[in-house]
Amino acid sequence: MKLNKDKLADFIATLPGKKVYGPKKSGETLKYAPVTGAADLCLTAANTTVPPKSVVFPQTETLLRFELGTTDIKTPGQESETVLLGVRPCDARAMTIVDNVFSWGVEDPYYLERRAKITLVGLACLEPCANCFCTSVGGGPASKEGLDVLMTDLGDSYLLDVLTEKGENLCQSASGLLINATGEDQEAAEKLHEKAASQISRHTDPAGIPAKLPHLWESLLWDTVSASCLGCGICTYLCPTCHCFDMQDETEGSESRRCRTWDSCMFSEYTLHASGHNPRPTRRERTRNRINHKYSYFVDKFNVIACVGCGRCINLCPVNIDLLDILSKVGEEAR
Amino acid sequence: MNINPYNPHIATVQDTWYETYGDRCIKTFKVVFDDEEVRNNWSHLPGQCAMIGILGVGESMISISCSPTEGNFLRFSVMRMGNVTQSLHELEPGDKMTVRGPYGNNFPVDQWKGKNIITIGGGIGQAPLRPIIEYVKANKSEYGDLTVIYGARTSADLCFKGEFTELGKSTQTLCHLSIDIKEDDWPHYVGFVPSLLMEVNPSPENAIAITCGPPIMIKFVLQNLKKLNFADEQIYTTLENRMKCGVGKCGRCNAGNLYVCKDGPVFSYATLKSVPEAFA
Amino acid sequence: MIDLEKLRDLARETISRDDVKYLIGWKPGTHGFRISPHFVSNPEETAELIFSPLCSNNLATYLTLTEKRPVPRGEQPDTRKVALMVKGCDSRAVLQQLTEQGITKDSVYVIGCPCEGVIDIKKVEGKYPGILDQVEARWENGKISLYLPSGKVEMARDDIVAEKCLTCRYPNPVIADVSLREEVEVKGNNTFDDVKKMEAKSTQEKWAFWQGKFNSCIRCYACRNVCPMCYCEECILDKTNPTWIQRSVNISENTSFQLARAFHLAGRCVECGECERVCPVNIPLSHLNRKLVKEVMDKFGFEPGVDPEAKPLLVGYRPNDKEDFIL
Repeated sequence: MKLNKDKLADFIATLPGKKVYGPKKSGETLKYAPVTGAADLCLTAANTTVPPKSVVFPQTETLLRFELGTTDIKTPGQESETVLLGVRPCDARAMTIVDNVFSWGVEDPYYLERRAKITLVGLACLEPCANCFCTSVGGGPASKEGLDVLMTDLGDSYLLDVLTEKGENLCQSASGLLINATGEDQEAAEKLHEKAASQISRHTDPAGIPAKLPHLWESLLWDTVSASCLGCGICTYLCPTCHCFDMQDETEGSESRRCRTWDSCMFSEYTLHASGHNPRPTRRERTRNRINHKYSYFVDKFNVIACVGCGRCINLCPVNIDLLDILSKVGEEAR
Repeated sequence: MNINPYNPHIATVQDTWYETYGDRCIKTFKVVFDDEEVRNNWSHLPGQCAMIGILGVGESMISISCSPTEGNFLRFSVMRMGNVTQSLHELEPGDKMTVRGPYGNNFPVDQWKGKNIITIGGGIGQAPLRPIIEYVKANKSEYGDLTVIYGARTSADLCFKGEFTELGKSTQTLCHLSIDIKEDDWPHYVGFVPSLLMEVNPSPENAIAITCGPPIMIKFVLQNLKKLNFADEQIYTTLENRMKCGVGKCGRCNAGNLYVCKDGPVFSYATLKSVPEAFA
Repeated sequence: MIDLEKLRDLARETISRDDVKYLIGWKPGTHGFRISPHFVSNPEETAELIFSPLCSNNLATYLTLTEKRPVPRGEQPDTRKVALMVKGCDSRAVLQQLTEQGITKDSVYVIGCPCEGVIDIKKVEGKYPGILDQVEARWENGKISLYLPSGKVEMARDDIVAEKCLTCRYPNPVIADVSLREEVEVKGNNTFDDVKKMEAKSTQEKWAFWQGKFNSCIRCYACRNVCPMCYCEECILDKTNPTWIQRSVNISENTSFQLARAFHLAGRCVECGECERVCPVNIPLSHLNRKLVKEVMDKFGFEPGVDPEAKPLLVGYRPNDKEDFIL
């Protein structure tokens, strides 16, 4: 099926009762925000700075509310149906990776209920960014993993590839706006996908890395790559597969809540014990942990590398700590 | 909402007393769940922990220091360290605390049936070992001999003091206490726990050794257990780390690829020896 | 023109000194216009060092960021110096750290690098996106030349440098043990036009402006961590006893954070512009900090990090200090 671009605003309007999020410019920053029409949607080549994980796993979320001094605990209400429009395949794949954590053993109802009510309408990348390397880690500019619908920009229309029942339901309500796609449309889309994949310029070979990393525990490579690290949260907060959080009780007057907020394993207090002991006292240990977590521990637990090659950490690290550079050093290091 | 693991149960403090005094004093709390259904449905095994806390302050992961065989209540022994434990220490009988759990894995007490059990504790480390002792006591026909080795810096720093006299009376239990520095009126061993271990010289034959205490003590106890020919699979310990969610989601309590709240806190030495962060 | 051979010779000489532990400089980054801070421990590693209009990183932050590891038993602590390459603004940070006694003079060996202005990375990557090959840039003929894969492009300095460079009064390091080259011309002055423009807005307009910016803040703390003046062992943001600033990310806490940091920098901010450069959501932090720089200038006639004899502003007073703001 196809949707002519001039019908995009109407398409969005067919999603009543659903919150619609899409890439939007907030000042000079591109992030996922509620959209009411096609005008403020920004479906340009670049990916958003803040990944759509901010919708599924909000930076700050209230878990419980209570009045101080009482034990009457209230939990937040029902989630509403949400559509995420214009999600890049890497970010959608990332959500399926993070799903593992929130359903591991004990299920996290906050995340899972929200996730169940989200429909992901993806947009194939036709112009990968300089630091994208999705094809090296099991993804691609037109990967369908995790998406309910995949849109490809054919110039004056979007080709819609309906992938799941949720995607079908979504398109049902817009059926009046959609027109049939031809075999030529499909071919054109496929050519665009292939061209995009061939334009990806940065690569890595992660094949041996999960098995090799445990052997490099004492390597000096961790001192080298962490020497310039500022210990900020940019790489972790803007990574679509990062999921660590802090829990805090916050009180204003007599109203109190237990909330969770994003946290970063790169912060020095992340593993600081109340006694003052810190098992990861310097940036070296924390950098080593981060790389091991994404490329080794996560593989041990869930059989997938917790990295989708979106390139945000490389683009936004203020001191040019480059994940692909680290991986290539890991590859070169003798066991 | 489906079962919400972050929504705690409310428990009332039935009784509370100090085990030790001073800056890092230890207080034990005996608590009972307010909700009858929760009381009746709760089950835990030695080794498991719970997130206990106070609404408006926060939570801490504390090991459950009673055996399920002791009754329909929970015991926690808490050392005063930071914000949450400080607020917990202010609780008196009748006050409420939040409890969620049980979390973590348990000591494989089923697998240990028929074996001789040796616990080696130091200071507050005796808290997760106490449920093993009580469990083995309550099921004594199913286990071999029970040897309890426990020490602290001074006699005032020993936890559960009153319980050792009773323990010593049982014919199946050998109880060895030590303090680091000589004191008048102290009839037992003076020295560090690892040295007491060598004095006691337990046989590794059909035995399981479980140790918990300060990292430095654990290091030397492990060395000595190996000297006494205990196999890696016969040695168990518990790890601790900073925790927030307690259910393997917030990401922070890992030692290598093991999450202490979920894969642990109970680990055999066979597992831990290849995990470099285990003793960080 | 920067003589790279001379730079590397100087670096080799420095790293060979008995009293230098390691040297921090700049080297070409892994792609495009990027630059990496380069930690040099031996003469061979000096081959990669550069100094160019792309070198915006203020390396002075590493003097207080690098953790001191516990000394193994039997060993003595390594008290040798850290050699540091600094531009003018960076050197002000070093001097201010010395003034505050955050570092001691015998712990640092300063290599002064007179600077003609650094490129605004966001501007240049916006203009020439997607370049992966390493790009070279040079100060040539009063302009800035970019050596792109497609060929050389000359740009007028003021068109491409960071905003801070337009008002820069200290292109020549204010403190240096050795200098890379002769001093350069001062091109900026500080009439605080940017601050006055904001001051002219109404309270509602100002709040609307800042609310929009603070709402974007993701509390990554890159601004705090990169800042050479933010080196408190326990930052107010990390305290939980009491929790001065809550962890939740919302307009209230974000505003508290941003204003607390700006005020903690009053009389200390050396206008190196790093906070604004590193912000992933483009909050114009220099506007905030320069407002306080202007206040301090108006009320106390004080500029941090320029006078080696100065004391930190807020630890003392002069009898003729203005009092008109005290009721």
